[in-house]
Amino acid sequence: MSTVGSVDQFRHSFCEEARDVLVDLESALLELNENRADAELVGRVFRGLHTLKGSGAMFGFDELAAFTHNLETAFDEVRNGRLAINSELIDLTLTALDRIRVLLEDNAESAAAEAGARAEILARVGHMIGAPKTALSEGSPAQATSPAGAIRDWHIRFAPGADLMRRGADPFLLLRELGQMGGLSLRASMAALPPLAELDPERCYVCWEMVLATAASQDAIQDVFIFVDDCCELTIEPANPSEDRGPGELLKADATARALEEHRTEGGGRRTYDKADNASSLRVPAVKLDQFVNLVGELVTVQARMSELAARRDDPEMAEVSEEIERLTSALRENSMNIRMTPIRGTFEKFRRLVHDLARDLDKDVELTIEGADTELDKTVIDQLSDPLMHLIRNSMDHGIEPSSLRTARGKRSTATVHLSARHSGASVLIGVSDDGGGIDAEAVRKRAIEKGLVAADAPLTEREIFALLFQPGFSTAKQVTDVSGRGVGMDVVRQRVDSLRGTIDVASKPGLGTSVTLRLPLTLAIIDGLLVNVGEAYFVLPLAVTLECIELTRADVERANGKHVANVRGELIPYIRLRQYFGIASEPPAIEQIMVVETEGGRYGFVVDEVLGDCQTVIKNLGRFYRHVQVVSGATILGNGRVALILDPERLVQEAVRTLAHGPRGRPVAVSGPGRKRDGP
Amino acid sequence: MPLRLEQQEESSLLSLEGMIDIACAAELKQLLIEALSGAKEVRVSLGKASGLDVTAVQLLWAAAREAKASGLEFALAGTMPEPVLKALGSAGFHEFPVSAGIS
Repeated sequence: MSTVGSVDQFRHSFCEEARDVLVDLESALLELNENRADAELVGRVFRGLHTLKGSGAMFGFDELAAFTHNLETAFDEVRNGRLAINSELIDLTLTALDRIRVLLEDNAESAAAEAGARAEILARVGHMIGAPKTALSEGSPAQATSPAGAIRDWHIRFAPGADLMRRGADPFLLLRELGQMGGLSLRASMAALPPLAELDPERCYVCWEMVLATAASQDAIQDVFIFVDDCCELTIEPANPSEDRGPGELLKADATARALEEHRTEGGGRRTYDKADNASSLRVPAVKLDQFVNLVGELVTVQARMSELAARRDDPEMAEVSEEIERLTSALRENSMNIRMTPIRGTFEKFRRLVHDLARDLDKDVELTIEGADTELDKTVIDQLSDPLMHLIRNSMDHGIEPSSLRTARGKRSTATVHLSARHSGASVLIGVSDDGGGIDAEAVRKRAIEKGLVAADAPLTEREIFALLFQPGFSTAKQVTDVSGRGVGMDVVRQRVDSLRGTIDVASKPGLGTSVTLRLPLTLAIIDGLLVNVGEAYFVLPLAVTLECIELTRADVERANGKHVANVRGELIPYIRLRQYFGIASEPPAIEQIMVVETEGGRYGFVVDEVLGDCQTVIKNLGRFYRHVQVVSGATILGNGRVALILDPERLVQEAVRTLAHGPRGRPVAVSGPGRKRDGP
Repeated sequence: MPLRLEQQEESSLLSLEGMIDIACAAELKQLLIEALSGAKEVRVSLGKASGLDVTAVQLLWAAAREAKASGLEFALAGTMPEPVLKALGSAGFHEFPVSAGIS
């Protein structure tokens, strides 16, 4: 492994971890905005900034370190009670975090373009803390970062591991960080240094014994080593717990020597970082994970082929091996999917900032509540959820939530609520965005839709259908939305994205009480459990999660229904769609066909097929750009026999079939009645 | 070139310029081994060094120790810049380079 490559890799790693720190900082700042007296939160912000500064300097992000230094100083002033938390400081720090994100891009051009903005922030921070503090300089920030509480001595032993230097970390910079926290007395030991010929030139053999006199907490000291704690041996313990010293007292040389001596002779009671914990999780680039899942997908396909081959040959040994491979592939598939499952918390939490900023801009008082943040779903789904959620929240705050004065006049709490929720429901996850605003005026939406020519003036529409119009492209522009006092901006974008995720949108609203938008999304986009069916020479896969049962359809049944495509299933009338007819497959149906009954949002429907071939784990392959408008098919898969099967989207297929077959564009008109309802007797 | 080795009959002069860190550590090790082989006196010039990281300190330390064990002289040519000395001192290498056995 080359050193330069390693350093780049660890700079990249730092950037990723720093972005996590930024998310936590943002969240802490927004919480602090609500609870301004919370010392714990102030400490969290301070430590986050301190970590960014120290680690940034360590990995060569000097601009970032210098910029963060002044913010850290401001929060140190807050910790010491010399500066009060106010909206300006919170907003300024939030803006500063955005600038830090740009610095993390490690792009000289964009960093330079923002130099003015950073300087302005620094000037304003400097003004708030009373004296303009310039960039981080050696030695000077010691006082700035030293808290004013009781100073105590900490005994620190730091032994870098074999890889610390190769990871781009520099122990000298860590020591400088420590020095900035208070009075540091240290001694480097060369005891482990091997002979020159045997010495690995890129490894650190030195170990340091130190005494640090500081009022900073043990956590704060540990934070200095946060990016190297998995590749070093670190012990931090009070040198003399019984004696807390007042500020200003200098570290005495003999006390230092004594502490060092005590440490050398005691040996016990050392607290070292728990290496097992540090190794219990690791950060993997998403692209590697995608490659892994793709390979598992290929394996699933090959395994299906092998199973088919084994089934065709009368070879018990091969059948046994095939079954074993099937079992292992299934476990591997489960595992690989689990690895991709990520809690939605990160996505939800980042909207705190959006709500905060929008509330300020719109001059509304809005709080964001979150429920089910630990709900896990596929990373690909999560990645694509941000935009639709952002549009929904924006619409909610802009058009749904009333100004505080109006809320009060209506007898509602002046602080409005936007509620984000997530929960599992079968093979789907339900993501909700609701508010307690004014609700949607369904009649106004209907009028607007008629004006825009989206629906006929006399079209009988249910409330649900009216709300669905909001997601039609061309329904709204900002002006029109204001006119109808409803939703609309960017809603077609929401629908497009949710469509691409094979999800559905449901809107419920009560005038004066609020609106709730629910997105139903599949848990994963990569592999599904399906049922393989065929119609003539064509193969289709139906998602197992929505498939209820399979019943026979004889010619006598068809005749009994008098041309209606309805089956009687234990007293329930189930309308069905003949896939042969829908897809225009030119072959004769068998004497006995099969109806696959599926559950959709609109009720139960049947799909008539020739045969049900069995269940299969299906790797979803995109059909490509050319077929992107084919909504009834969510993808394709390659079968064990090398043939391609289309994966049907039952929800869309039902909607499309009801619409097109009823109007007969694909052939002769077919009577398709509404979803199943009970009737008396067979 | 930040690292330069000049060898005469029985003496070697190793000149280090700029930042001497992990990026040139492998090269420094090689040059130190070469400097020590066959010479009775090794001198290291750090006058134009802007900084040393821990890998450079270790290599100089190990070389000086080896020279001493072999009865060679390992000395500093000229003086070290004050900021470099200060930085090393604040990293726990007090009295460097004397503490490393470099006269």
